[in-house]
Amino acid sequence: MAEIVFAAGIPHAPAVVGLFDKAPDEARAVVAATFGAVGRALRAAKPDVVLVFANDHLTNSRITAYPDFIIGHAAEHAGPHEWFKEWIGCRDWAVPGDPEVARTLFKGLTKRGFRMNAEAGPLKFDDNLSVPTVMTELDSTGIPVVPILQNCTVPPFPDGARCYALGQAVARCIAEDMPAGLRVALIGSGGLSHEPGGARYYKIDEEFDQLFLKLASEPDHATFLREITIPRMEQAGLGGTAEVLSWFIVMGAIGERQGESFGYTGWPSFRCGIGGVVWEVA
Amino acid sequence: MSWETYDPSLAAHDLVQDLKWDPALRALFKQNEAAVLDRYTTMLPAERRAIEQRDFRALYDLGMHPYLGGQLSRFIWGNDAGGGAIEASNRLVASLTGSIASIPEKP
Repeated sequence: MAEIVFAAGIPHAPAVVGLFDKAPDEARAVVAATFGAVGRALRAAKPDVVLVFANDHLTNSRITAYPDFIIGHAAEHAGPHEWFKEWIGCRDWAVPGDPEVARTLFKGLTKRGFRMNAEAGPLKFDDNLSVPTVMTELDSTGIPVVPILQNCTVPPFPDGARCYALGQAVARCIAEDMPAGLRVALIGSGGLSHEPGGARYYKIDEEFDQLFLKLASEPDHATFLREITIPRMEQAGLGGTAEVLSWFIVMGAIGERQGESFGYTGWPSFRCGIGGVVWEVA
Repeated sequence: MSWETYDPSLAAHDLVQDLKWDPALRALFKQNEAAVLDRYTTMLPAERRAIEQRDFRALYDLGMHPYLGGQLSRFIWGNDAGGGAIEASNRLVASLTGSIASIPEKP
């Protein structure tokens, strides 16, 4: 039986890379503390593979045929995709994939009632994987990564209950289908409040973000699922805030666990609320 | 904003995807925008006019997805990370709101 040895939720706003040096001290401190803590805890957990659940920002598919979940099966993943390089401004990165774990996940989630899509070739990555990878220096660890890209922005998309249930299926797949002794890390990449490309591009809903971080850190998922609804996410920023659904998958997989967050900043020029959580899973 | 007006059938969505995925098309768009727009035969006249006039409010009212609208704005007005694509973001917000009131001071 494989086991989950690490779980975290982090944002992937590109401006935490591009505007880091221009941000005020308190905002820089939150960014450094959050990604630093996640990176250290990830290394300490010594995982054999990292499953990263992250929003696909209309990067891989046309809007007229948009999948809800794509599992990357490639032997290597690299980014950022050419068009996003200038925008994100981060260095190039590459991580090994894990085609066997990807196949097991694809088969296991399918048989448990979740429509997944498998991509054997290279996926295009923007900030979704690039920002967490470079900010935690995941690519320096050599740990294989399986990206699971999800639809959080093209309506209709799977809601909180469905994403949480998917997480529960991920846990069963890890426990029942993956090799004994395999150490699995889970990362949800997305959020917090933001409205990319919208009229409220510079609006950050600090009240939502603080509530979200508080509830996500507490071992009471009934309250979390009741309070953090799609309408409340959209109120906090249309088309962007719902990226926190990636955290729902991780929370569904680990069950009710205590989490630790590392501060919060709503500096407007980040155009996204910034905060993260590492959950106790050991 | 809401999803009330969102229309996934707009040809502008395909235009943005193609620009993102095809450097040669991006170069052609900068050189001869009309020639690129001519390729999208299902594009509505109002949709084309909104793109030509950089009228994102009109484009969104027709049903443009804001994420792809944001990417189009960055393609047109600048995609730079060092500046946080601030110029594009500011112009997009000004187009959508008719105001610069919500735009913060330079970082």
